[in-house]
Amino acid sequence: MATVASPEAARRVYRLERVWRERPGLLGWLTTCDHKRIGILYLFTSLAFFAAGGVEALLVRTQLITPNNTLLGPEKYDQMFTMHGVTMVFLFVIPISIGAFGNYLVPLMIGSRDMAFPRMNALSYWLFLSSGIFIYTGMFLGHGANAGWFDYVPLASKQFSPGPNIDFYALGLIFNGVSSTAAAINFVVTIFKMRAPGMSLNRMPLFCFAFLAVSFALIFALPPLNVACGFLELDRRLGFHIFDVTHGGDALLWQHLFWIFGHPEVYIIILPAFGIATSIIPTFTQRRMVAFPLVALAEILVAFIGFGVWVHHMFATGLPSVTLIYFAAASLIIVIPSGIQLFAWITTINTGRPRFATPLLFIVGFIVFFLLGGLSGVMLAAIPFDQQITDTYFIVAHFHFVIFGAAVFPILGGLYYWFPKVTGRMYHERAGHVSFWLTFIGTGLTFFPMHILGLIGMPRRQYTYPGGMGWTGYNQVETIGSYILAAGLLLIVANLVVSYLRGAPAPANPWRGATLEWATSSPPPDYNYPVIPRVTSAYPMWDELDREEDSRNLTRGEMVLDEGHETPASTVLDADWDEILEMPSHSPWPITLALVASGVFLFLLLGHWAVAAISTGLVFVVLAAWHRQEPQEA
Amino acid sequence: MSRIPRSMEATSVGEAAAVARGRRSLPNGLWGIALFIATEATMFGAIIATYFYLRFKHAGWPLDGIAPPKPALPLAITAALAATTLPMLLASRAVRAARRGAAVGWILFAMAVQCGYLAVQIVLFSDDLSRFTPDQNAYGSIYYALLGASHFHVLVGIVLSGWVAARLLAGVTNYRVVAVRVISWYWYFVAAVTVAVTLTQLSSSL
Repeated sequence: MATVASPEAARRVYRLERVWRERPGLLGWLTTCDHKRIGILYLFTSLAFFAAGGVEALLVRTQLITPNNTLLGPEKYDQMFTMHGVTMVFLFVIPISIGAFGNYLVPLMIGSRDMAFPRMNALSYWLFLSSGIFIYTGMFLGHGANAGWFDYVPLASKQFSPGPNIDFYALGLIFNGVSSTAAAINFVVTIFKMRAPGMSLNRMPLFCFAFLAVSFALIFALPPLNVACGFLELDRRLGFHIFDVTHGGDALLWQHLFWIFGHPEVYIIILPAFGIATSIIPTFTQRRMVAFPLVALAEILVAFIGFGVWVHHMFATGLPSVTLIYFAAASLIIVIPSGIQLFAWITTINTGRPRFATPLLFIVGFIVFFLLGGLSGVMLAAIPFDQQITDTYFIVAHFHFVIFGAAVFPILGGLYYWFPKVTGRMYHERAGHVSFWLTFIGTGLTFFPMHILGLIGMPRRQYTYPGGMGWTGYNQVETIGSYILAAGLLLIVANLVVSYLRGAPAPANPWRGATLEWATSSPPPDYNYPVIPRVTSAYPMWDELDREEDSRNLTRGEMVLDEGHETPASTVLDADWDEILEMPSHSPWPITLALVASGVFLFLLLGHWAVAAISTGLVFVVLAAWHRQEPQEA
Repeated sequence: MSRIPRSMEATSVGEAAAVARGRRSLPNGLWGIALFIATEATMFGAIIATYFYLRFKHAGWPLDGIAPPKPALPLAITAALAATTLPMLLASRAVRAARRGAAVGWILFAMAVQCGYLAVQIVLFSDDLSRFTPDQNAYGSIYYALLGASHFHVLVGIVLSGWVAARLLAGVTNYRVVAVRVISWYWYFVAAVTVAVTLTQLSSSL
């Protein structure tokens, strides 16, 4: 934080504190529109779902520890692996990376006091929580989704899945999609319009480029999924025939619609991880990122090309060879932007002065696993190899290295990296190292033998296997690995909890980080910055003269905006200051709207069409009430 | 810094118009609706793609000898709906130029046409239902899914227009000026989608 040198400065800070003070107590949390509080809500909710998905994974691994095991049985096993996938993708990785890290950090990094649409931000969170509860209600009632996370028809059609399991899945994902769409729109507008003066697009942190790419990918990827789930519900509930081959429909259509969403989804999962890596690497090497513009372009290119490769999930469906060859080639092209980033990270570490603190260790783990998962991905782009290996554990190995090893390791590193900023406490470094090695070894032991199992023919998604196939030993190693991994994750949680209670106090910028979130105190005040910073490079915290100017501005009262709940909006490319916005501070309507929306989906699930239609009407009533209070009246 | 406008303090017709004139980039609300339109357009793209995906699976279309739709009336009313983009454009111009009465008038005029369009479409929809149903075959399924999605968007637009007209009558603020422009953009999108949907619907008879 800028040093409060003069009485004028102190007076301004006091006024900011009064204007921006959050409501106390539970009511404050339920009606908050503050991006930091919403980020923390996202964090704890998604970690709870991570725990649920983790328990499901451990149950799956425990079931497979010996041949002919009867711990779960086929029905429960199907629900476990399906819910594990759905949870980890929709209720953990996306919400924690976009909802928690993005919400907390993007406004701080771009020097804004909030997101562009604070109330819609709260709405995204409450919709996400409601959709998670909705999806898990099915599981607690014994009717959890059970046709795999990609939910292929005809297995998922009414004829073969008559129970409500698939309805929880399809409606739940549409519900969740509404939340993610709202969040994505909010991020694009925030990144385009709310940057601090001087932060032209080429001076924006690479973290924000990654979030920009992810948000655009979400905006275009979610509609096909929602359409597919909508069609599936129409087929299942109202007797439509869109996926029904016997009445002129087409089952493969589901796979197309699902993977047009599903492949960009992979990059949606991993791009925030790239963003976190590009934040941690410069800090712990005290060096600017190598090839900054190339890395920014590569992040966007990955998201873009990700839309043109979906058929590589369908190489074994009998599509014409010409189609397959196009998609194989497109899939190989992804190597180029991925390689650019990989070499940029390695070169930055190699040419800097790396200090292998816990966050950087996790990034090194990420690079190792991304390389492994990426190389097996290149193998799978070869059509004959894919046709041979599809539906075996080789696939499971590949995508766990990508979306656990590569996507989650930076999240874990990020938890350590920004822990001092969020809590104002330092974590325990030695325990951090131990937790890294446990998760690193656990991940390797759990997922690497799956390559071998796949090559020697073990199919995925089977609840058990016979002895004498040569599979038992590998499965046992994997199960042991998964418990080591769980121990590592628990150690991370323990480290952070104990450090929160007893850690050493953290200064504003303990790592000499380069981006603006380190400009303010740890934890940041409700108004983020006493002075809106002026930015002249992509590494504003290393421009010490600029930051001294911020302190002088506070005394002079320039760029303080202490007259109201205000933040600047700027032009899209150059970030010239364009207008001053009065932001809403708290609102009861986002949570109310989420409750009404839950009603809509509940009544759709129960088949009370008229009540569902009335609830949809209520949504508009709530929206009208929401917009009755305009920000300048708050 | 004193030159930077505090947009939200504009709570009269004239002030709101001044803010709108002084801005160099689009207000956040318009960026929001542009991205919303992008995601909605992708959704309609997926539905229309499904229509043609199913259509090209079959030698005969519509399936099972269902008569193709008659084109004249849908084309005429779709043209009328597309034409309402003009009064919506004039409404958002008027509200930025501090002419509140004209803005409300244009919105209400457009709403009348839009309501007429929806009424005729509902009649056509129920006529179609008496000829063939969505649970008959895949043609019926995608036909009604496509039209249902489109009509629902028109209904939402009418609700939004009615709401913003009522808000304008209670006074003009910067917030409401942006709302008029946002809803106009929504209508441009709905008009474009309706044209695409109608051409898809009629593709079996054109």
